Amino acid sequence: MEVGFLGLGIMGKAMSINLLRHGFKVTVWNRTFSKCNELVEHGASVGETPAAVVKKCKYTIAMLSDPSAALSVVFDKDGVLEHINGRCYIDMSTVDADTSSKISEAINAKGGYFLEAPVSGSKKPAEDGQLIILAAGDKALYDEVLPVFDVLGKKSFFLGEVGNGAKMKLVVNMIMGSMMNAFSEGLTLAERSGLSPETLLDVLDLGAMSNGMFKLKGPAMLKNSYPPAFPLKHQQKDMRLALALGDENAVSMPVSAAANEAFKKARSMGLGDLDFSAVHETLKAPDHSS
Amino acid sequence: MRCSMFCSHISPHLNLSPMIIMKRFSAPISSYVSPRAQAIAEPAARVGFLGIGIMGSPMAHNLLKAGVDLTVWNRTKTKCDPLISLGAKYKPSPEEVAASCDVTFAMLADPQSAVDVAFGKHGAANGMGPGKGYVDVSTVDGDTSKLISGHIKSTGALFLEAPVSGSKKPAEDGQLIFLTAGDKTLYETVGSLLDIMGKSKFYLGDVGNGAAMKLVVNMIMGSMMASFSEGLLLCEKVGLDPDVLVKVVSQGAINAPMYSTKGPSMIQSLYPTAFPLKHQQKDLRLALELAESVSQSTPIAAAANELYKVAKSHGLSDQDFSAVIEALKSKIQHSENK
Repeated sequence: MEVGFLGLGIMGKAMSINLLRHGFKVTVWNRTFSKCNELVEHGASVGETPAAVVKKCKYTIAMLSDPSAALSVVFDKDGVLEHINGRCYIDMSTVDADTSSKISEAINAKGGYFLEAPVSGSKKPAEDGQLIILAAGDKALYDEVLPVFDVLGKKSFFLGEVGNGAKMKLVVNMIMGSMMNAFSEGLTLAERSGLSPETLLDVLDLGAMSNGMFKLKGPAMLKNSYPPAFPLKHQQKDMRLALALGDENAVSMPVSAAANEAFKKARSMGLGDLDFSAVHETLKAPDHSS
Repeated sequence: MRCSMFCSHISPHLNLSPMIIMKRFSAPISSYVSPRAQAIAEPAARVGFLGIGIMGSPMAHNLLKAGVDLTVWNRTKTKCDPLISLGAKYKPSPEEVAASCDVTFAMLADPQSAVDVAFGKHGAANGMGPGKGYVDVSTVDGDTSKLISGHIKSTGALFLEAPVSGSKKPAEDGQLIFLTAGDKTLYETVGSLLDIMGKSKFYLGDVGNGAAMKLVVNMIMGSMMASFSEGLLLCEKVGLDPDVLVKVVSQGAINAPMYSTKGPSMIQSLYPTAFPLKHQQKDLRLALELAESVSQSTPIAAAANELYKVAKSHGLSDQDFSAVIEALKSKIQHSENK
């Protein structure tokens, strides 16, 4: 099966390599062209523009960093829309529902087929093909691309009309962002109270609160180490979009609002490109920060 | 003789009979007692248990089932009846329980009850003395724990704070996690009893450390439940199926068992009590005080605490702490009669 792939960042690179390893023919494009080189070494072809990729492939997947990039790739000159007639576009970026709807309408208007499919999972699950895919939009298209989803992820959900996948992703990341802050507060309090934060990690891992995120990120956080699996700026973007969703529907979300403030503070401290666990730094007294 | 080898390691002033050791120690701190000192032939010590509530009842029950010589007390006597019918003895005051036992456990709801039972009128301290031990498994703040410790130790007895992580089901299944601090000797002596009631135990040093660790753990838990509640509610309000959210969460990195266990009933607005909301709020309040004492900012815990306060004000104190989701709703469900 031949697939186009737009966006070779942390996620896109891992996902397209995964597809290549599983025998898919992949044509890639990235705004910074040099990122394509490594994919070529793995056997990918290169498209000069998003339009060129779409022209070549019946199915094109996009994995961009935010709403603005997702829109740009579709609507700009040499963008996806130019050759989309009769072809399929699967946007796996995390965006707000409005952006997704806008893209969907434009694609459909030009005779194309659209599926939104944001994922839950970051760098390692992407490398291991263990993502959770939250799809919505064209059901027939969803059924056609399941072989691709089966390679990229461990589980796929079809959630109905366009917008539902985007919303589900935002809700999940909102919970995750709040949990990371709760975790960070606990680790810091343990340390400041003279307890062993490593012991706290052990205790948490034994009980009803144990989860992959704490287990994976806890030890690195205690060493002030935040290698980016999911950049903080994207987590804050997701919290902001989730809060906007809550805003539209008058839903009370005080804990998430507090978490968003912490991520904003972390961004203002210049930590946007580090892993989102770097929000831990916002709780440190000035002489303790790394 | 193995027994005398074991006995010689115990501090001379402690005349507790060595406990029957059922399992090997699993504590991460290196064991004080020689690992060869197992399978003791001496009779088991007499054990007291004060506080037969949601937690105390199954904990005491597990001790009884394991053949421990058990004496119980509860402020409302009727709660002890099931245990008495299974062979537990009963004394009408903490003082008398402590006097007739070698080690006395206490599982009370909050700092005030813990203090009253420990050294109030007819409190346990009156029945304590050299050679005895008091193990307080209640969740209290560090200062309360130190206060109780002081009163107990002034009688010549040993003290161990040992709050637990885990609620009703882990208590029933003997799967609690003990976060102990205080007299190391007493910790070693009661290890086998803790192993009956729990799956792991930690020794954390000076009195206050166990209390602090428990509060930190429950602070994280309270915040996690509040943020999960926000997610479930947002899901519903934007037209998504919250059951799907529970499934999605269970597949990913934030897959806490707590979410998959409680999510389904929360979606139906049901909150069967495993951990009363009023106790969760108490723990958050104490954690915030701890944070203040070390000048630490905790905005998430503070926001979460407010939600539990709202839930309490609407009569949801005795529901499970997952009822905090009601605090986010515009039309809040009030408590129903049990």
